[in-house]
Amino acid sequence: MGSLKIIDAGLFTSIQDAGRTGYRKYGIPYSGAADPKAYEEANRLVGNQAGSPVIEFTLQGGRIRFNSRAVIALTGADMSPVLNGSAVIMYGSFLVKEGDELKLQFAKRGCRTYLAIAGELKADKVFGSYSTFGKAGFGGYKGRNLKAGDELSWTETTKQFSELKTPVEEIPYYSSKLKLKLMKGPEWNWLSEEGGRQFLDQEFKVSSSSDRMGVRLEGTKVKALERQMISSPVIPGIIQLPGNGEPIILMNDGQTIGGYPRIAKVYDSELWRVGQVKPGDTIRFEMKEST
Amino acid sequence: MELQSLLLNNKSWHVRTLGEKAWLLEPEFDGEVLAEIHKLHALFEKHEIPEISETVPAYRSIAIIFKEELKDFGYVAELLEKQIKPSENVEVMSRVIEVPVCYDLGLDWEEVSSHTGLQKQKLIKAFESAEYPVAMMGFLPGFIFLDGLDASLSVPRRSSPRTKISSGSVGIGGSQTGIYSIESPGGWNIIGRTPHSFFDLQSEPPMKLNPGDRLQFKGISKDEFFKLSGESGDG
Repeated sequence: MGSLKIIDAGLFTSIQDAGRTGYRKYGIPYSGAADPKAYEEANRLVGNQAGSPVIEFTLQGGRIRFNSRAVIALTGADMSPVLNGSAVIMYGSFLVKEGDELKLQFAKRGCRTYLAIAGELKADKVFGSYSTFGKAGFGGYKGRNLKAGDELSWTETTKQFSELKTPVEEIPYYSSKLKLKLMKGPEWNWLSEEGGRQFLDQEFKVSSSSDRMGVRLEGTKVKALERQMISSPVIPGIIQLPGNGEPIILMNDGQTIGGYPRIAKVYDSELWRVGQVKPGDTIRFEMKEST
Repeated sequence: MELQSLLLNNKSWHVRTLGEKAWLLEPEFDGEVLAEIHKLHALFEKHEIPEISETVPAYRSIAIIFKEELKDFGYVAELLEKQIKPSENVEVMSRVIEVPVCYDLGLDWEEVSSHTGLQKQKLIKAFESAEYPVAMMGFLPGFIFLDGLDASLSVPRRSSPRTKISSGSVGIGGSQTGIYSIESPGGWNIIGRTPHSFFDLQSEPPMKLNPGDRLQFKGISKDEFFKLSGESGDG
């Protein structure tokens, strides 16, 4: 059994996996890693099965002490990882020894970093997933974000360590200026012509109140018809337009039912990018209807 | 994006795109819309169509979330129309469940009274005189949206939502009524609390309710509330 201790939990650190499905009718969101691409790659690099739980760090990672030897890999945002004072690689597996300390600093680009540990990380499996859903307090580590003093453990694999690296050309670039492809949402027609232009022609700024529920956007207010909306189903990627005219892109922990017009949806294939935006980044939208 | 119509269970449903893997079905008929949505949801659950990941019923629509990206409308339309046969009998759960409520733990009686012009006792009587079908669950885990609130009991949402509402709180938000199963932020007017726990992490499924079940509220005292909930009364 391997273990580690959180010395400094950073800004927002939780255990996540591929998320839970089948419970939206009870109001339970998918949760899961906000950047599924980086998450999957982290598990692949350490030889874990797809769907294994990992640690997700946000903006600033903090410090971890390993109480035992481990094979680990870091993917996603580059938080300038340092092991016992020396820089270590992103997107490659490496060995850590008992007593080693890993430090993750502020993300240079992107927002979220994933730490996978070879073996089976111990966590609470709730409704089929290890993902933490903090709003309702279940899954992952005691249903909450990690904090200083927490100890995590895992069952070690019997596999030999073999160094794996992501080919350089496959490592994504996390731009601070995004352009996201959209399809029209069920209430797209609630936007006036002016509102539609306001929405598609401007560069929005990502608000600091963004979280795993949704990316909140700031900018020129987008005008929509003042119509009563009845609470209706939503999914991650849906862009809601509340009365204040500032769009919200729903993410993994977003609600299952929403009462604001669903004006558009970010393509699923682009959602990993949304998982990597940080406050201050800018987003432009591009309507791209398939057919 | 506008698509087409589907004939499911002898009813016509308008199909719209919610996402690459998700459709929204909206009734193209009048009448017992919510009951038909619940019936269709029950049919989807009964058939466990392998291509479908899950379905989410709501007040005026039902979301069908597929496992894979949808490429061809016709293919999926045929698949669903073949599985969901016309006038197939399905039993929609419609149990009547008595829900004890302590109205003395309500937080917003003043606002509710001043808005409706009714005194607390009259309000309680009117509130308890109806059965409330479970319309849908969500936005947060276990929040129960109920149908059937009498128009005279409608009270606008609070202008500034509370950051913390206790689990079991019964509220009125506009023309809707519902129950906060878990502690959460919220903007509805709280008229009481039930010691009943509807959401259970340890059970599968986590909710003991189904869409279509009908709730009947019955007043209890504070003493009874604390005895049933196991909470201490001093908090």
